[in-house]
Amino acid sequence: MKLKIAIVDDEELARGLLREYLSAYDDIEIVGECANGFEAVKTVAELKPDLLLLDIQMPRLDGFEVLELVGRDVGVIFVTAFDKYALRAFEVHAVDYLLKPFGPERLREALIRARKRLETKVSTPIRELTGAARPPGVHLERVALRDGASVHVIPVSKIDYVEAQDDYVCFRSEGKRLLKQQTLADVEGGLNPAQFVRIHRSYILNIERLAKLELYAKDSHAAILRDGTRLPVSRSGYARLNAVLK
Amino acid sequence: MHPILTNRSRTLLYLASWIPVALLLMGIVARGGAMPWSEAALILIPMCLVYAFICQASWYLRRAAPLRESDIVRLLTTHASAAAVSAGVWIGIAWVWAYLLDSTLYVNGIAERFTQQIPILFVCGVLLFLLVVAFNYLLITLEASQRAESKALELHVLAREAELRALRAQIDPHFLFNSLNSINALIMSDPAAARKMCVLLADFLRGSLKLGGEQRITLLEEMRLAECYLDIERVRFGARLQVERHIDPECETCLVPPLIMQPLVENAITHGVAPALNGGVVRVHAERSRTGVKIVVENPFEVESKPNNGAGVGLKNVKMRLANLYKDDARLDVDPGDGWFRVELQMPCNH
Repeated sequence: MKLKIAIVDDEELARGLLREYLSAYDDIEIVGECANGFEAVKTVAELKPDLLLLDIQMPRLDGFEVLELVGRDVGVIFVTAFDKYALRAFEVHAVDYLLKPFGPERLREALIRARKRLETKVSTPIRELTGAARPPGVHLERVALRDGASVHVIPVSKIDYVEAQDDYVCFRSEGKRLLKQQTLADVEGGLNPAQFVRIHRSYILNIERLAKLELYAKDSHAAILRDGTRLPVSRSGYARLNAVLK
Repeated sequence: MHPILTNRSRTLLYLASWIPVALLLMGIVARGGAMPWSEAALILIPMCLVYAFICQASWYLRRAAPLRESDIVRLLTTHASAAAVSAGVWIGIAWVWAYLLDSTLYVNGIAERFTQQIPILFVCGVLLFLLVVAFNYLLITLEASQRAESKALELHVLAREAELRALRAQIDPHFLFNSLNSINALIMSDPAAARKMCVLLADFLRGSLKLGGEQRITLLEEMRLAECYLDIERVRFGARLQVERHIDPECETCLVPPLIMQPLVENAITHGVAPALNGGVVRVHAERSRTGVKIVVENPFEVESKPNNGAGVGLKNVKMRLANLYKDDARLDVDPGDGWFRVELQMPCNH
């Protein structure tokens, strides 16, 4: 069976090099070449490659964000000049991590490993992808979301609130609703706790959107947002909110 | 801060040095039996204590007659008149004390005997005051010079450190790895270009090492190095990187610190061109200004592009180097406005 590979690198020369290395294999087909993260997400959705050769530092969407959006069934070999991402690459279950520049032998090793991995077909749970795509202690500055083949990147400051919906979370931003397969706890862990507060089992609120708090029953409050939206606030959520607002 | 009274051990030492002074004064008033030793002690021991503090008031005169700015006549008149006034006040207090001893404490005749000693005590008072003034000035000067010395040493160490750090940070290892990767790619597809890239990279490395060791290099040399860097990056980024440069020939001979411009150009590429979907143009512009030379590096940037880690470190290094080398005579203005990131470097142009 032919292995379908997509090459993702913003440098033409780097893509050319991979193309050249891969041309030595009869059992490999290059299904796509992408110069940025957006193209990569689109290519994966449309052409379903088995393996990505993925650069990390790219315009708009970096390699980890691409992986977070396409997730699941595609294997990934990171190709980068930076060694500082190796640990994160390992956490998102990358098949291999190639440091530029490398020779064809090193790529051969990585491809052998990739074939083995793909035969056993262990797909990576999306949770682990999203959780690891962020170094500890660093808060998200933006959230990457996919809507079919198009990608949205929203700065966290534009998020109004996040709502849990079954297996998904729903980001509300500038009147839009954007779904992402993730747990609310994961989202909470990535956001800056000084700005985003878990006010309820199902809601995380950007406190800059809060207009006022209303008491509507004993022990239970409602948060009224600037645009008039009402969100429930649980008892522990109220305590957390007070701690941040103080 | 008062050099003596604010420090407990110094105050004690100072008071101790008044003990021989008190003995001397007692000897003077008791000479030839003019006054019994016991009476001299009765008056002079408390009075020396009082005068020790009066003399320290001279410290506050240093504002009226600063050592560096006042001429000797002014210095002398100020302190001589202060000495006369202090000695007068002191004698007055001493006389009141002697009078009290005489009338209320029944040391008969002490006031009269003391009055005869007033002229000589006044002269002693003036001299003692001046002595303390001289001593205070000596102490201040000593402390100031010690402070200046340690400050100079500290500044020197800081400057060296900043210099070293700046030079070490000049060549980003990832720049090397990416360049090598470009060469690796070109070897098969375009051997001539691969060879050219090798030579460019070698030129750049040799230039950085050689020029980095100099104190000052000409702006022309600095520009050549930056252009070498840009040429290498143009191979890597292809059509995504355009370069526009305009160098006023008049400023080519200016002497500037080595590798001061290169971080600005590197910054424009890593934070402006590389994260932009369609790349962009880096504009380098140098001209003579009224005070020296002005270098402007501009690049467009996408507001939505992710701020790269380490943004600003290169600029901060340049800023520190300039501050160390030129103090207030150089400046680095960063203007991230309106889709264009503009860095303006102004520094003296030494020939």
